[in-house]
Amino acid sequence: MSDETPVSAAADPAAAISVRALWKVFGPSADKVVGTPLADLTRKELLNETGCVAAVRDVSFDVAPGEVFVVMGLSGSGKSTLVRCLTRLIEPTAGSVLVSGEDILKASPSRLRELRRTQFSMVFQHFGLLPHRRVIDNIAYSLEINGVKKEARHARANEVIELVGLHGYGNSYPEQLSGGMQQRVGLARALAVDPKVMFLDEPFSALDPLIRRDMQAEVMRLHRDLGKTMVFITHDLAEAMKVGDRIAIMRDGAVVQMGTPEDLVANPADDYVADFTRDIPKSHVLCLHAIARPLADGEDLDGPELDGGMVIRDATPTILEARRAVKVVQNGQFLGVVTPDDVLRLISGDVDAVTAQEAETGP
Amino acid sequence: MTRVRELLRHKWILVLLLVVVWIVLATVLKGVHTLELPTAKNTPVTQWLTDFASSIRGNRTESPAFVYFFNPIRATIAAFIEAIRSVISVPGAGNVIPLIGWLGTLSIIGYIVYVTSNLRTSLLSMGLLLACGVLGMWTFTMDTLAMTMGAVFLSLAIGLPLGIWAGLNDKVMKVFRPGLDLAQILPTLVYLAPLALVFLIGIAAATIATLIYSIPICIRITAHAVRSLRAGPVEAAVSMGSTKMQLLRKVQLPMAKQTIILGVNQTTLAALSFVVIAALIGAPGLGKPVVDALVIRNVGDGVVAGLAVVFLAVMLDRATTAAVIKNNTFVRDTGKARTKRRIGLIVGGVLTIVAVVLSRQVLWAAVFPEQLNFGKQIASVADAVATWFTTTFYFFTTTFNEYFTVTFLNPLEGVLANSPWYVTVIMIALLAAIIGGRGVAILSLVLLTIVVLIGLWNDTMISLAQILLATLLTMIIGIVLGVMAGRSERVEKALKPFLDAGQTLPAFVYLVPVLALFGPTRFAAIVCGVFYAAPVVVRMVADGVRGGPPEMVEAATSAGSTPVQVITKVQLPASKKSLLLGANQGLIFVLAVIVIGGFVGAGGLGYLVIVGQSKPELAGKGLAAGLAIVLLGIVLDRITQASARRSGNPGG
Repeated sequence: MSDETPVSAAADPAAAISVRALWKVFGPSADKVVGTPLADLTRKELLNETGCVAAVRDVSFDVAPGEVFVVMGLSGSGKSTLVRCLTRLIEPTAGSVLVSGEDILKASPSRLRELRRTQFSMVFQHFGLLPHRRVIDNIAYSLEINGVKKEARHARANEVIELVGLHGYGNSYPEQLSGGMQQRVGLARALAVDPKVMFLDEPFSALDPLIRRDMQAEVMRLHRDLGKTMVFITHDLAEAMKVGDRIAIMRDGAVVQMGTPEDLVANPADDYVADFTRDIPKSHVLCLHAIARPLADGEDLDGPELDGGMVIRDATPTILEARRAVKVVQNGQFLGVVTPDDVLRLISGDVDAVTAQEAETGP
Repeated sequence: MTRVRELLRHKWILVLLLVVVWIVLATVLKGVHTLELPTAKNTPVTQWLTDFASSIRGNRTESPAFVYFFNPIRATIAAFIEAIRSVISVPGAGNVIPLIGWLGTLSIIGYIVYVTSNLRTSLLSMGLLLACGVLGMWTFTMDTLAMTMGAVFLSLAIGLPLGIWAGLNDKVMKVFRPGLDLAQILPTLVYLAPLALVFLIGIAAATIATLIYSIPICIRITAHAVRSLRAGPVEAAVSMGSTKMQLLRKVQLPMAKQTIILGVNQTTLAALSFVVIAALIGAPGLGKPVVDALVIRNVGDGVVAGLAVVFLAVMLDRATTAAVIKNNTFVRDTGKARTKRRIGLIVGGVLTIVAVVLSRQVLWAAVFPEQLNFGKQIASVADAVATWFTTTFYFFTTTFNEYFTVTFLNPLEGVLANSPWYVTVIMIALLAAIIGGRGVAILSLVLLTIVVLIGLWNDTMISLAQILLATLLTMIIGIVLGVMAGRSERVEKALKPFLDAGQTLPAFVYLVPVLALFGPTRFAAIVCGVFYAAPVVVRMVADGVRGGPPEMVEAATSAGSTPVQVITKVQLPASKKSLLLGANQGLIFVLAVIVIGGFVGAGGLGYLVIVGQSKPELAGKGLAAGLAIVLLGIVLDRITQASARRSGNPGG
């Protein structure tokens, strides 16, 4: 099964965000690249030829309401530029960005400000907190510039302070907080206006690994409770797999593959994607349907029955307990069987991959 | 043959060759075409400038430019400063004492410092002001303070908005930059004569000259403050939909506040140092007794007035620096500390009001008591100390002085000033070509030719000889102390008070002790220049040495280098660029002081500026000398800048 549908040519007005043919070219003759043969050159050729850099090239995707859409790529792949183009912090060179059906690239400056104040909000890698304001006034900032009275905006700020677990820190200044706590302020600030869409630009990359794990859990909890549509930028595939409903992998400004975590691991589009996904433990991502196989000779169909959509890791105890072939069924349809041997073989492949990675990078 | 060509590739060998040729030529052609000119004689250009100056003097009451533009400006600014003076220093019309007596002024200043920083700094400030009174300089100090405060107020009113504008807008910065750069290399003395000509000698001209000096500093630091803000918070605020005005008011300005206050500190010190020098064109205050003492070489009075300048400078520096430190953190006091502070503010406020009322009612609080005035005693002690020093250290103050002059200064002057002008011009241009490239060489050629045409060639070269020697000494001291400070924190800590003082004190006050020790000589001017410029160079060299990655030194040490090898083979080459920039800064600072050295018998261009100031028939010569100083400054600045730029990029 695959969720991936080819992006239609026309923008999707029902989507929370619908991006079509988005380009961002930096350089002296940036507006003379898109729509000409120059657009087909590779990044390096384009740079040599015109002195321009195509940071985002012909990117199209739709984000459904309530979805967490992850854009993943290495540094220089254009992911941070892309997310800034979506809110016009960086002005795109060409293309369209529809938010709830409205093309924000056509919005006037004042309309754009209004959208920023009410419809979207952003969380930054280095937090971007205002150092001269207390936590509560940082969180209330966008309400303040939108003319909300002090009492009302502080009441709202206190609500989100509770929501992100910052109880008792409202009167602190950012420099008095740890990195993790500062990013909680960043999250609270983004939530304060009750936005339709949240953009998170590598929100946890500057944090220590343990704190990062807590914050990932926090974002997933907030998403479960509040159901916000999120566009999440990261360079860490494990993080992408953890938080993302769908993932777009970027390289040299273009999207090389887009799909669910399972798609990417099971069917990498090219060696580049395969290289990334190699280190992801397959049993954590793949579901039973991916390894179900026809009944072999001498196997019995008397084992327990499991759902094909179950992640292998979660199914492992049952399968090992059963000590025989387990039936995989999805939507009332029999897909095949999985035996403890199949699971162990898959996991040992994972183990190989993990040890190989540790040998390369050190523990 | 190839070996010679190989050798010629090295710049320093070329330079050496050139210098040898130059010395030979200068020796052979000694005394030919030196363009020497007696002080009292005008050249066609200076005669024309003299006539121009007197025609301006004649037009002052009639020409529309004066009646409708310059004169109203003069009147407004003079009225503004006089208003401040009538509050704290001189009695206004119909009064016997200023609006507020000394005790009231002291308390108000103490209270302002307390509000903007803390109690300790406030007490220190009041102590220093009191010391000025004890020196018998209370009224002079208040005059200087009034001038400084007025100039700082106007500088900030003009400089802050322009600085913010330039910080936000690259195009504006591009328009401002040449002016700001020029202001940095112009020696203070140069502004005085033209402004005195247009605005008359007096408070207005002095204030405007001060503004021209301090506003660029304010603009520069403010623009830098806005420009160097962390991008993150600003971007975040934009992403939340701030308007430009909201961004400026709620994000950029609050975040830039600390650096802007540092700008206030720098603007204040610049204004003070200029107000002191502006005594030459009639600014009231401490500069006046300093100038008087210099003119009649009265060491004691000069020391007393100079000390008052030092106290006032330290007070203004401490007070504004404490305000910078207080704003180091954005965290505000809460709870107990806040309550304590509030009580302090109320008590201090009440005390200040009582002091002000007293100072308007009671004589001892209104006029600084004569019993506390020890100026005369201190002056005679200073006289005695100076005499003792010069007799005891005769070797240093006289013998060394003469040795230095005969061995180094006279020969250098001989090469530069006492040889045909065309040899010197061409040699300087060739040197500029080797060090800085073709563009700089052509610029030097053109500007030096203009100096020749003006007719002040010989005086310019006399100044140049002093400038070069002073810069050389400055660089030797700067590199030795700078390397020591860069390598050891102990040395840096020990030097810090001296470096701070060197950067805080107005150049003028150095003249007093130097004159006392070395008499009215060229050597005195050189010592002055070294004193004034060395702190900056030490700082820059120390920063450069410390700036390299620590692994570099560790690697060299682990490879078995001796400390001397680490310094000469690793740290100095790695900080070559900051050394050259240090030389550039050193030159500019030396230039500013050497010119003032005309006052203490150093001759050269500075002397002509001062003579032009006092003799109307030589006014044009003073103006022309100012122009020659500017041209010389530009040449020196461009050559050293270009060499620093070239070393910064070895490929080009």
